[in-house]
Amino acid sequence: MIPQKQLEMVRMGLRNLVGYPMRTVLTMLGVVFGVGSVIAMLALGAGAERELLKEIGRLGIQNIIINSIKPEEPDTSSQRSNWISSYGITFKDHRQIVDTIPGIEKALPVHVSKKTVWQGSKRVEGTLYAVTPEHLDMFQLNTSVGRNLTHLDDEKLSRVCVVRSGMLTELGIFQDPIGFPLNIDNETFYIVGVLLDDSFLGYARKALSVDAKSSEIYVPYSTALRRHGTRSITRRSGSTEATDVELNQVVISVTDLDQVLVTARMLGSLLERNHPEKDYELVVPLEVLSQRQKTQQVFNMALVAIASISLLVGGIGIANIMLATVTERTKEIGVRRALGARRRHIIAQFLTETTTISTIGGGIGVLVGIGLVQVLTFFTGWSAAITLSSVALSLSISMAVGIVSGIYPARRAAGLDPISALRHE
Amino acid sequence: MKAPIISLQGVHKYYGEHEPRLHVLKGIDLDVADGEYVSITGTSGSGKSTLLNLLGCLDNTSKGAYLLNGTDVSSYSDDELSKIRNEDIGFIFQSFNLIPQLTVFENVQVPLLYGTRSIASTTDLCHQVIESVGLSDRSEHRPSQLSGGECQRVAIARALINDPVLLLADEPTGNLDTDTGDEVLALIDDLHQQGRSVVMITHDPDVANRSQRRVDLRDGIIVEAGAA
Repeated sequence: MIPQKQLEMVRMGLRNLVGYPMRTVLTMLGVVFGVGSVIAMLALGAGAERELLKEIGRLGIQNIIINSIKPEEPDTSSQRSNWISSYGITFKDHRQIVDTIPGIEKALPVHVSKKTVWQGSKRVEGTLYAVTPEHLDMFQLNTSVGRNLTHLDDEKLSRVCVVRSGMLTELGIFQDPIGFPLNIDNETFYIVGVLLDDSFLGYARKALSVDAKSSEIYVPYSTALRRHGTRSITRRSGSTEATDVELNQVVISVTDLDQVLVTARMLGSLLERNHPEKDYELVVPLEVLSQRQKTQQVFNMALVAIASISLLVGGIGIANIMLATVTERTKEIGVRRALGARRRHIIAQFLTETTTISTIGGGIGVLVGIGLVQVLTFFTGWSAAITLSSVALSLSISMAVGIVSGIYPARRAAGLDPISALRHE
Repeated sequence: MKAPIISLQGVHKYYGEHEPRLHVLKGIDLDVADGEYVSITGTSGSGKSTLLNLLGCLDNTSKGAYLLNGTDVSSYSDDELSKIRNEDIGFIFQSFNLIPQLTVFENVQVPLLYGTRSIASTTDLCHQVIESVGLSDRSEHRPSQLSGGECQRVAIARALINDPVLLLADEPTGNLDTDTGDEVLALIDDLHQQGRSVVMITHDPDVANRSQRRVDLRDGIIVEAGAA
C-alpha cells in the first residue's frame, strides 16, 4: 500500500475518533495515565541516579578512603573514666601504604579533632580538619573569598585556616574576614579564606565524615599536628574522655581507574594485618557507586513495572471499546467489504485507529508525566530528570499497546461475513 | 450481439454442507450483454438477494460457473473477489450505505482506498463524479445533512468512481418517495444511455418496466425472462 493511502486512513480514522469525542477521551485515558506514570517514574529514577552520581562522583571514583573508627569496647563500665582510647590508622600505616602499595598517585593524611573556637566572647564548637592542600583540590573545596591552603603554609607551619561562611556568622564576624584571628584551642590561627557555600551530599558526607557544614575549619596538616598533636580531650558531664587517633582518614588516589578494586583489596589486606581489631573502614566510592546503581536500577525497574500495569489496563480499555465499536460498525465494515476492502484493509483500518488513539494518548501522557514531575519536584524537592529516551520509550510502548490491543478487535472485524455485515442493522 | 458481460451457467447455491441443506438457487442460466439494462424481480424468498450476492461477487456459487466479463470468478478467493468488487462492480443499495462519519467527498473516495491508484491523482475525478450526480455544492456535507435522494446520488457517485463494468442496484428506490425515486431511476437511465450495463433487483413492477429486460425469479429458478 502507498504510504499516502495510509495517511488517508489515519485521517479517516481520526475522523472516527473526532466523531465520538467523549468515547475517544475515555478510551485514551488509560494510556494517558499509564504513560504519564511511566514518564514520572523514569524521571524520578533518573533524578535519583543523577543525584547519586553527583554525590559519589564528588568523592572521586578513582579514590579510596580509609576512615578510623572507634572499635566496640567489650566492657566499658569497668574502664577508668579518664582512659585514653587509642585506635585507628597510624602514621606507620600511612608510610607502609605509600611505600608498599603500587599504583598510588597520592595518599593524603587527614586528622580530625573537635575544638572550641573563640572569637572575643563568642564560642563555637568546631571540627578541625588538618589536611594537605591537595585534599582541598581533590574534593573541590574552593574558596569564595581569600585563598586556599598552600604547600608553603604546610612547610612554614603557618597558623592559617579556611572556614565556612556559617562560622563567621556564628562568631559575629561581619567585616572582611581575611586576616582575622581565631582562637582555636588556645592557639591563634588567621583566616586566609572562606569556602564556597556548597556541602557534601548524603553518602559523600558520611564517607568523608564531614558532619555539619558550618563548623568545618581546614588548617594545614603539619601546623595542626605541631600545635595540637594527635590527642584530643573531650569533657562531658563529669567524665573526661581522651582519645589518641594518629590519622582519622587517609584519602588514596589510584593512578589507573582499572586498578581501583585491586588496590582496594591490597589495602584491605595490609590494614587487616596491622589492625586485627578492625578499627578502620575502607570506603571505595567506585564499588559503592556500582552497588547503588544496581539497587537504583532494580528500584527503577520495579517503579516502571508498576507504572506499566496502568499501561496494560489502558490497552485492555482500548481493546474493550474497540470490540464494542466493531459490533457497532458492523454495517460500515460490510459496506467497505462490498466496495472492495480486503480483510487486511479492515485489519489495517482498525489497527490504525487503535494505534492513533494510543499514540495520541501517549503524547498527552508524556505531557501529563512532565506536569506530574514538575508538581512532584515542586512539592517534595525530589530530584527528577526527564530523559529523551524515557519519552521515546513510552511513546513506542503506547504505540505497541495500540497495535496489540487492536489485533483482536481488528481480526474480529475482518472475519465478519460481508453479506451478513451488510444486512446488519 | 455483444459478448455477455455476465454469464451464469447452471448456477446453484445452497447453504450447509450436509442434507438437508437450504437450496436457494436451483440452476440459473442468465446472460447479460454489455450495455444491457436488466431487472430481476421476484417475491421475498425467491432467491433475489442470493443472486445479487453472487452477481456482486460477495459470495461464491455452490455449483456452476459465473463468468464476469469473460472470466470465471466462481472459484475466486476472498481477496480476488474483493479486487473484482472494487474494480468491476458498482453497488447501489436500498439503504444507501454511506459511512455516516465521512463527508460526501470522502464517501466517494472510499473505494479508491482499496485500489491501486493514488489518492492525490484521483481528487479531480472525485469532484467530476460528484458533479455528474449534481452534488458539487454538497461535497463537504455529512450524509445526515442530506435528503434520501441526495444520499442515493452520493451512493451512485461512489459506485461510479472506479468506472465499473457493471452497476448492481438493489432496490435503489425502496427507501425513497415516488418523486425522488423517479429522479434516481432517471439518473440510472442516463447511465444506461451512456452505455453502462445495469442489473437492478426490485419487487416493484413499475420500476422493473424501465429496464430493457425483466427476469422473474421464483423459488430459485427463472420462470420468465423477456422484454419488459
